[in-house]
Amino acid sequence: MHIPDGVLSINVVVSTYAVLVGVAYAAFSKISRVWSSSLTGKTSSIAAVVFAAQMINWPIPGGTSLHFVGGALSGIMLGPWAGFTAMLTVLLVQALVFHDGGLTALGANAINMAVVAVFSGYVLYKVLKRSAWIAGFTSGWLSVFLAGTLCGIELWLSNPLSIAPLIVMALWHAALGVVEGAITASAIVYVKRKAPQLIEV
Amino acid sequence: MMKPSRWLIIVVALILVSPLFGIYLADLVGYSEPLDIAIEMLGLEEWRDEWPLKDYSIPGLDPYLGYIASGFIGVGAVALTIFILDKALTYVGKKRN
Repeated sequence: MHIPDGVLSINVVVSTYAVLVGVAYAAFSKISRVWSSSLTGKTSSIAAVVFAAQMINWPIPGGTSLHFVGGALSGIMLGPWAGFTAMLTVLLVQALVFHDGGLTALGANAINMAVVAVFSGYVLYKVLKRSAWIAGFTSGWLSVFLAGTLCGIELWLSNPLSIAPLIVMALWHAALGVVEGAITASAIVYVKRKAPQLIEV
Repeated sequence: MMKPSRWLIIVVALILVSPLFGIYLADLVGYSEPLDIAIEMLGLEEWRDEWPLKDYSIPGLDPYLGYIASGFIGVGAVALTIFILDKALTYVGKKRN
């Protein structure tokens, strides 16, 4: 889901960077009030796990693949603002060190995976948290579906002549989100049993 | 709180198995992500620019070892970024008080 360089129009690049700067300012203002050594440790641990988990690409019969995104898991375990910070750190390292996701597309990639995936996962989990598995599954699924669909919208806004890529992104991520949901739910159920204080919601 | 050693075990295990999926199965199946399919439908191409560690590979190193080494480099970079952020946020917090 990492958009490379050369795909987005200049308008989309500028607008997504503007949104990212606004959200990052809000996030750092919020977390600077509650920042502590334990939150540092937890944020870096979740970010490291998400980075390593994103290196695992699962091939899907039919010629496509998926990797765990981790936005919902970050939001549920860290809260939305620290979750955003963890995901933004992962995306920054991927773009700057490995060129996985373009530098011009960093704003769009961050909005999709560090804002939309994190916040949607966090909010849905909060609403459904009576059952950890159902809440974890649906928040994981929705986070990937929304992030993938928004990625398709950004492609469409950059290339308005064809809406087909938007449909491809939405449909594929509706299906691939099932795996994200299952991984998120399993991780949350495990953590809730072993160390429930780690869940922020 | 979960012990730091447990986080480390999870991260190391994920990095060690990652080439199985990122290289072996990738070569075997020849897949691409939905985004690659969407970009191809638009007739667009990613900019071909040089990058030292592009695609989690290290020049001159076996692809499997390079993928694993990239995982550790990436985790190190993540930790370093959050360390710098920690210093900045602690400074801002102290200044506010």
